[in-house]
Amino acid sequence: MTDHAPRLMIVFTLAVALVLQLIELPYALAVLRPLFVPLVLVYWVMVVPQPTGLFTAWITGLLLDALLGSVLGQHALGLTVMVFVTLQVRGILSLYPIWQEALALTGVWLLYSLVMFWVDGATGHYADPWLQWLPILTTGLCWPPAFALMNALTRRTQHDPLAL
Amino acid sequence: MSTLTASARRPLFPRGPGLGLKALVLCLLALGAILTDTRTQALAPLRGGLTWLLQPVLWVAGLPSRVAGTAEHLQTRESLVEENAVLRENQLLLQSRLLRIEALEMENHRLRELLASSSQLEERVLVAEILSASQDPYRQQIVLSKGAREGVYKGQALVDAQGVLGQVISVTSSTSTALLLTDPNHGIPVEINRTGLQTIALGSGDGQSLSLPYLPGTADVKVGDLLVSSALGGRFPAGYPVGRITELKHDAGEHFMEALATPAAQLNRGRQALLVWSESFPVEPKPPDAAEPTPDGVP
Repeated sequence: MTDHAPRLMIVFTLAVALVLQLIELPYALAVLRPLFVPLVLVYWVMVVPQPTGLFTAWITGLLLDALLGSVLGQHALGLTVMVFVTLQVRGILSLYPIWQEALALTGVWLLYSLVMFWVDGATGHYADPWLQWLPILTTGLCWPPAFALMNALTRRTQHDPLAL
Repeated sequence: MSTLTASARRPLFPRGPGLGLKALVLCLLALGAILTDTRTQALAPLRGGLTWLLQPVLWVAGLPSRVAGTAEHLQTRESLVEENAVLRENQLLLQSRLLRIEALEMENHRLRELLASSSQLEERVLVAEILSASQDPYRQQIVLSKGAREGVYKGQALVDAQGVLGQVISVTSSTSTALLLTDPNHGIPVEINRTGLQTIALGSGDGQSLSLPYLPGTADVKVGDLLVSSALGGRFPAGYPVGRITELKHDAGEHFMEALATPAAQLNRGRQALLVWSESFPVEPKPPDAAEPTPDGVP
């Protein structure tokens, strides 16, 4: 059961993240919308590295592409790169206090966004040059509360052998 | 699925050999998808399938706005009666205009027949539901409920009751995606109704206005001028309202001036849009059919 519970939870939280990414918001709020899907993926990579593989990130990215109407593969590429980098640094990061972790992870989301901007530029889609950086900051700010909330939801101390 | 099924039995040290390789393969796959999707239409069925698969997500994401819509329905009886009266009055007014228009249309038809003109006055239209709007503030697209099955084609014009909305940019069998006028990648040939001056209106990307950057410094343009669509691009039917000029910017000494306009169509309201078949585009893909007999006939 402990084997299946986190997997179901992963699918559920990713679905919620997709919905949050799509819900209609007024323009002023939409530019501030955190990157929900990268946030949730990074959470699972940090907490339970094994089942949240690169493959999950790739598939989620493809779904996100279909939902947002972007070029197929764009988000898949960004999320795969992001998860790969997170897997490389997670061991070090989990030793730091949460706010430093948030700061470091903001770098990971920055990398993800840079991949997005690069593909946007390469495929001839141009976005507002200044406002597009805002979601990276809001995602970083959302990390501590999101981390606490997801921990409460999944009660990981009971399941996870890696709990520190 | 191998990554998923490899369970938490071996929890420590996920950095096994092959992680980098796996990431590389997935990245290359994604790059391949990007290239294929930008160059060809080969991935359209995949996109359609994924969208179909994600209908529940779209449905849940649409709930808040639908709930807000239902709240609108819970109006008082008085306001409904009032609205009804206004609508009746409007309907009468429009009916009387329609009577005149029908007569004018017939007259125009006869005159065109006299001129042996091939262009038609009435256009074929189709009402489509707006399924979803892009939530990326920099990508002004909407998804419509009509697709290739109903004869929708890439480049087709989209209008609402007030004016031009945009054009279709991709079609699947049952849905299609349209780019709105205000998207920074969108341009539309327009005519200034008062003077007949032809120019191009580009989307400004803020979701609310159009920009006309190619006006000669001496052009006769005033704030409040109506822009109508022009058939010059061969894509939009002529004569639909596009917007109204709201601001003129002319720096002394510059050869060009820029004008800003607000779109006439209600871009972020409404649940329906009209797809218009314009004269220059065939309803069915006729040119390939028309081209075929010649090679067959030659030998």
